[in-house]
Amino acid sequence: MVTGLGTYLTLSAVLFGIGAAGFLARRNLLLQLMSIEIMLNSVNLALVAINRAHPDSHAGQVFAFFVIAVAAAEASVGLAILISVFRLKKSVESDRADLLKG
Amino acid sequence: MTSLFGDWAALMPLLVLAGAGMAMLLVDAFVKENAQLGLFSAVILAGTAMVSIGLWDEQVTAATPALLGGYLASDRLALFADVAMCLGAALASLLAGGYLREHKLDRGEFYVLLVWSTLGAMALVRATDLLSLFVSLEALSLGVYCLVAFRRHSPKSAEGAMKYFLLGSFASAILLFGMALLYGATVHTDFAGMAEALRTGETGDGPTDLRLGILGMALVLVGLAFKVSAVPFHMWTPDAYEGAVTPATTFMAVVVKAATIVVLVRVFFGVFGTEMLAAETSGWPSAVFGLAAITLVVGNVAALVQKNVKRMLAYSSIAHAGFLLVGIAAAAQLDEGRLTTETVSSVLFYVLAYTVSNVLAFGSLIVVGSRGKEAVSYEDLAGVGRRHPWVGVPFTLGILSLMGFPPTAGFFAKYWILEAAVNAGGAMTYLAILAVLMSAVGSYYYLKVLVYLFMKQPEQGAPVAVPMRSGYVVAALVLSSYFVLRMGLAPTAYLELAQGASYQLAGLPDPSAQPAEPAPADEAPTEVAAAPE
Repeated sequence: MVTGLGTYLTLSAVLFGIGAAGFLARRNLLLQLMSIEIMLNSVNLALVAINRAHPDSHAGQVFAFFVIAVAAAEASVGLAILISVFRLKKSVESDRADLLKG
Repeated sequence: MTSLFGDWAALMPLLVLAGAGMAMLLVDAFVKENAQLGLFSAVILAGTAMVSIGLWDEQVTAATPALLGGYLASDRLALFADVAMCLGAALASLLAGGYLREHKLDRGEFYVLLVWSTLGAMALVRATDLLSLFVSLEALSLGVYCLVAFRRHSPKSAEGAMKYFLLGSFASAILLFGMALLYGATVHTDFAGMAEALRTGETGDGPTDLRLGILGMALVLVGLAFKVSAVPFHMWTPDAYEGAVTPATTFMAVVVKAATIVVLVRVFFGVFGTEMLAAETSGWPSAVFGLAAITLVVGNVAALVQKNVKRMLAYSSIAHAGFLLVGIAAAAQLDEGRLTTETVSSVLFYVLAYTVSNVLAFGSLIVVGSRGKEAVSYEDLAGVGRRHPWVGVPFTLGILSLMGFPPTAGFFAKYWILEAAVNAGGAMTYLAILAVLMSAVGSYYYLKVLVYLFMKQPEQGAPVAVPMRSGYVVAALVLSSYFVLRMGLAPTAYLELAQGASYQLAGLPDPSAQPAEPAPADEAPTEVAAAPE
């Protein structure tokens, strides 16, 4: 059985959609952060699968490594901001973030 | 430059700033007065701008492409953006030197974050590969998220940072997915290879998948539109701008916007500039056209109803993003299957003018308030211009320049964008008319600031704003006033720089260059042979 590139790309798009839907629908900041991680990892899947279909260079795989590293940096900054929000508001619900309006 | 640093000259602006950024981490441990770090970072940022100017006439040697590995460009577009961004960042750190001390937020990491974010922005405007674009965009963004969250004990600051972070990383993920699809379509991550594959329909490993390519292009446009805060992707802008400390707001308004506009130009003109993708009715120019129109309307109308001056300036920055997009849409006109990239110079001039005007407006807002009495609403400004003319004059100048009133920088910036739009003809004429109408709407909220400054008096019992005293802030105001007036009275020199950048991007000979100048390619091989290993 051969799994074509289209299958991987479809799975990647579905994962990306799940992440995006989770980001938009969830009201818990932690879950929103996790949704973003799902989106980034769906991209990694697409990159690696495309690279497998076109194995002349390793651009896609290298790219995936960079995405992993950047996602880690992003998560650390995001969690730091989240902790600061939690300390001040005692809540991680994004609905409570209503000081800035207009 | 080349005589001093050889082949490494092309990387000098980045290396200087990176070295200085590391030095700052060390210096931070030893200085007693953190505001001095503000002066230090302003000096090194200005120095970096000088290095970039020094590279203007010889950006590359024969060895540069191999040195940069196809990941970074070294061209006049990048150098021009360097100058605008380093100038903006230098002025923002001067503002921070006064502001942070006044408001007891004086911690050295602010300046370090600012310098490293600027480095990310400088790498971003040089990016010629999807990989370097993504990494440098994140290097820029992560620093700015921290700058927004800088006031740790303020719930507003934390909330603004959280919103900015969530929407910013959501946008990054969308952009990244678009990049992956483009990689799938063209099997290249370098811009030149992608452009070639999109143009010829041949990737070198099978045909180009145009459906994936168009989807990827759309996602990249959405991701970048988030970052330039174009409507309908602008929701984070007012909150992040209001929540951040004002020098950080200044930095976001000038550096982040300049960098993303330049990268938008490089990607869309460089990669998607093919006849099919840039077709007038069905290609990306029509999408940019739509974004520009809705951004102009929403930005200006929403700014009308704001009571907080910082929020008003945030919406005004959205409106300015609309103007920049008008310039991009106007430049994206196909002429015999080739994009007329040379009119991008109007966009570049606008970026420079907008940088200095915005620093002036935000800097004046900073100087109006003092400890515990930060000026936020229009009422806080009441009568300040009368009581303290030295505050009122720069504020007026900045506001008039943002409005586009002669003889300030903003006037010619708007004029050239509108000229480019009218020259493009067709539907662009209507967009130009809309832009003029929206500028008229905009003058209402800009003039409201002046009315409060000079014609109102504070109400009985209301707190009276006391301007702060700081040499750093005054220096930043004087410098930016100088540039605003200089660019308004003698804009030609700056326009020629912008034209030099856009002509090189278009691959045309620079009209201002001497014809007798020998082509660099003729000399280069001997230089390489002479260079020691």
